[in-house]
Amino acid sequence: MSADYAHLCSAIVEQCFGKVSQAVSDCLFSATTRTLSQIANATKFSRKEVGLALSVLIKFRLVSFEASKLNPFVPEYSLRRQDILCLLRYPRYIHMVQTKYGNVGASIAEELVNAGSDTASAILIKCLSEGDTKSDGAESYRNTFLQMITDHYIIKRPELILSEEQDEVMPKFESNECDYFRHPNIDLQLIEKIRRGEATLAEAGDSTMIWNINYDRFHQDFRDSIMIDSIERKLGENASECFRFILKIMYKTTDPWQRKLSNQITFVDIKQTIEKKSNNLDLMKHLDQYISLLTDDSLGFLRRVGDMGGGLYVVDMEHAFQSLAFACIESVITERFSSKAARIFRVIRFKKFIEQEDLQKEAMIPAKEAKSLAYNLFQEQFIHVKAIKKAGGGGNGLAKAFYLFQIKEKDSVRMLLDICYKSLYNTIERSNFEKNEHKGLIEKSQRLDSIVETMKERGESDEYIAEIVETFTPPEVEILNKVKHRIKTLSKAELTMDQTIFLLQMYQHHCTILPTGIGKYK
Amino acid sequence: MAGRGRGGKTGTLTAEQLAMLGCVKDMPVQSAPQPTFPPVMNKPIAVETTTAQNYQLLWKEQFLNRMRDSPYYIVSACQDKQHLEHKDWRERALERMKLKSEPEFNYKAMPRELNTTNRKRRGADARPKLLAKKTNIEDRLKALEQKELKTGTENEQDDAKKESDSEQEDELDEEAALDDEMDDENDYGNSYFDNGEAYNDEDDNLDDGPVI
Repeated sequence: MSADYAHLCSAIVEQCFGKVSQAVSDCLFSATTRTLSQIANATKFSRKEVGLALSVLIKFRLVSFEASKLNPFVPEYSLRRQDILCLLRYPRYIHMVQTKYGNVGASIAEELVNAGSDTASAILIKCLSEGDTKSDGAESYRNTFLQMITDHYIIKRPELILSEEQDEVMPKFESNECDYFRHPNIDLQLIEKIRRGEATLAEAGDSTMIWNINYDRFHQDFRDSIMIDSIERKLGENASECFRFILKIMYKTTDPWQRKLSNQITFVDIKQTIEKKSNNLDLMKHLDQYISLLTDDSLGFLRRVGDMGGGLYVVDMEHAFQSLAFACIESVITERFSSKAARIFRVIRFKKFIEQEDLQKEAMIPAKEAKSLAYNLFQEQFIHVKAIKKAGGGGNGLAKAFYLFQIKEKDSVRMLLDICYKSLYNTIERSNFEKNEHKGLIEKSQRLDSIVETMKERGESDEYIAEIVETFTPPEVEILNKVKHRIKTLSKAELTMDQTIFLLQMYQHHCTILPTGIGKYK
Repeated sequence: MAGRGRGGKTGTLTAEQLAMLGCVKDMPVQSAPQPTFPPVMNKPIAVETTTAQNYQLLWKEQFLNRMRDSPYYIVSACQDKQHLEHKDWRERALERMKLKSEPEFNYKAMPRELNTTNRKRRGADARPKLLAKKTNIEDRLKALEQKELKTGTENEQDDAKKESDSEQEDELDEEAALDDEMDDENDYGNSYFDNGEAYNDEDDNLDDGPVI
C-alpha cells in the first residue's frame, strides 16, 4: 500500500463519513491493528466520537475487529484497506443491478448500500416505504432480493453466536461458507404489520441474518465484461458471444478468482452449451473457426492444451490481463509522450533487452529523437536499464559495460497504479475545492430550485415564478454552469480512472503472487 | 578498490552511463520536484458521456448528498459548533433536525466498548434488584405482623406500659431488620440517607458562626 493510496482512502472516507471517521481510518491505515484508547490518543478526539466512528466503519464493513492476543478482553481494530476503494464503485454496482434486475433490484441495492449492512426485512421495509409500491408489490421485492442472493450479489455476514451473558466484551461469530447464500425467512405479512406500526422489527424471524453487498461478485462481472468487450472490439460479436459461453462453462468447474489458468474445458462442452442456449446460427455453424480464432489471437485469452473431446481448452487469465494491462500502459504512453514513444516501449517489451543503438534501428526512429524519447521514458520509470559489466576489465581504464533497456512489467504496473491513485485523489480534492469555493452559489441555486418547485405545486402564476427565478443574475448563472460542468467532468474522470485502476488490479491478481484480498467469500 | 564494493543500486545513473545510453548533454535533468500543475503536452481527447455514465454520475451525486445528511456522517462536537456559528437560523434548524435522527447499530455484533448506551442499561438493570428487595421487605413485614399477633395473644394480660415498650421495641426490630436488608448490596449510598425526621430540629451548633 503506497502513500498515494493512503491519501486516496483518506479522501474517500472523508467524503462519505466525515472528518472523525477520516481521522480514525487514517490512524488505522498506518498500523496493522489498534485499540480504541490508542486511536483516541492518536486522533485527539473523544472516546465517544472515536467509538461512534468505529461503529460506522464496522457497519459499512471497512473495519474489522478481533480480540487482542495479549488480552482477550481488549478488542483490536484493523482497516480493510482494499475495500475502501469499493465506495467509489457504488454507482457501477447500482447500474449493473439496474440493468440485470430493473428498478426493484436497484432500489434494494441502493438501500443496502445506504445502510452498509442490514437484515432482509429492514431493507425490504425501507424499499417499500420509499419505492412506488403500486407497480411493484412486496412480493416482487422479496423475490428479487432472494434472486440476488442466489446469484451471489448479496452475501450474508457471519452469524452472531448469542451467548447467555448479555453484555459480552467481544461478540463471537459463526462463519460457514455453505451458509453465506442461504435464503432468509422473509414474512411479508409481518413486514406489512411492521409498516403499519402493529409490530416491531425485532419480531422478524431473520433478525440475526445481516446482509451485505458482495463486492467480489460484481468485480467478477466487471472482469468478464472487460474481456468480452475487448474480444468484441477486436474479433467481432460472434467471437465475444462464444467467449461469454466459455466463461459460463468455466465457472461451473473453476473458482472465479483462480489466479493463472482455469480448469480444462472440452470443445464438446462448448458446442453443447451454445447449441442449447444460443440462437446465433452463424456462431453454431462456424464454432470451430471462432474457437481457433480465439486461440490464435495475440490477446491469448484461450489456449488449447490437448486433443481430448474434440479439443481441450483453458482460459489463460494471466496472459489475458498481461495483454490488457500493457495495452493500457501503451495508450498512456501514447497520450503522454506520443506514438513514437509507445513504439519504443513496444520494441523493448518485444526484445526484452535491447541496446540504445539497436533500439533506434528496430523502432525506425531517427537517432536523436529515439534517444530523447527513451530518456523521457526512463526518467518517468516506464523503462529500466540493466548494466552488464564485462568480466576481467581491471587495470586503470574504465570497466567495460553494456547498458541494456528493459521493462520490469510488475514495477511498471505498480507505478502506473500509484499514478492513478494520485490522480484520483487530486480529482476528488479538486472537486471538493470547486464545491467549497462556490458553496454559496450552489446552495443558493438549490434553495431557489426548491422554492420554485413548491410554488409550482401551489399553482402560482408563471410571471411570479419568473420573477423569483430572476433573482439569480445572469453572471451568477454563467459561473454556476461553468462550475457544474467542471465538477461533472471531474466526476466522469473519477469513473474512468477507476476502470483503469480495476484493470491494473486484475493484472496484479492474475499475473503476480501479491496478496490482493480478492476471493469468492470475503 | 573504491566503488567496487557490494553497494546496491543507487537509483541514478552517472554521466558516463547516461552518455552510453545516448543522452545528450543539454537534456533536462530533473533536480527539483515537478510543479503542482505541470503544463499538459498533449490535450487529452474529450470522451463522450454515455447514458450509463450519466446514470452513474447522477446516482453518485445523490449518494454523496444522502451520506452527508445521514447520521453516519460524523462531525466532531467542536467542528459542529464552529460550523453552526456561520449559519443562519434556518440552516441551524435543519442541522438540528439532522442531528435528531439516530444511527442504527447492532451493538450486539460489536465490541461492548463501542456501545455508548451501556451505562444507561446498567441503570435499568438496577430496577429489578430494587423490586426484589421491596418484595422481600413486604414478606418480612408480614412475618413480623404474624409474630406480633402471636406475641399479642401471649401477653394479653401485660400492663399498658409494657405494651407501649414492646411496641417501641417492635418498631426498633423492624427498623433493624430493614437496616439489615439495606446493608446488602445495592446502588444506594446508605450513609447519605435522610428520613426527614430531623428537618425541624433546632441546630445545636450555634457556635459555629453566623448564618448568612
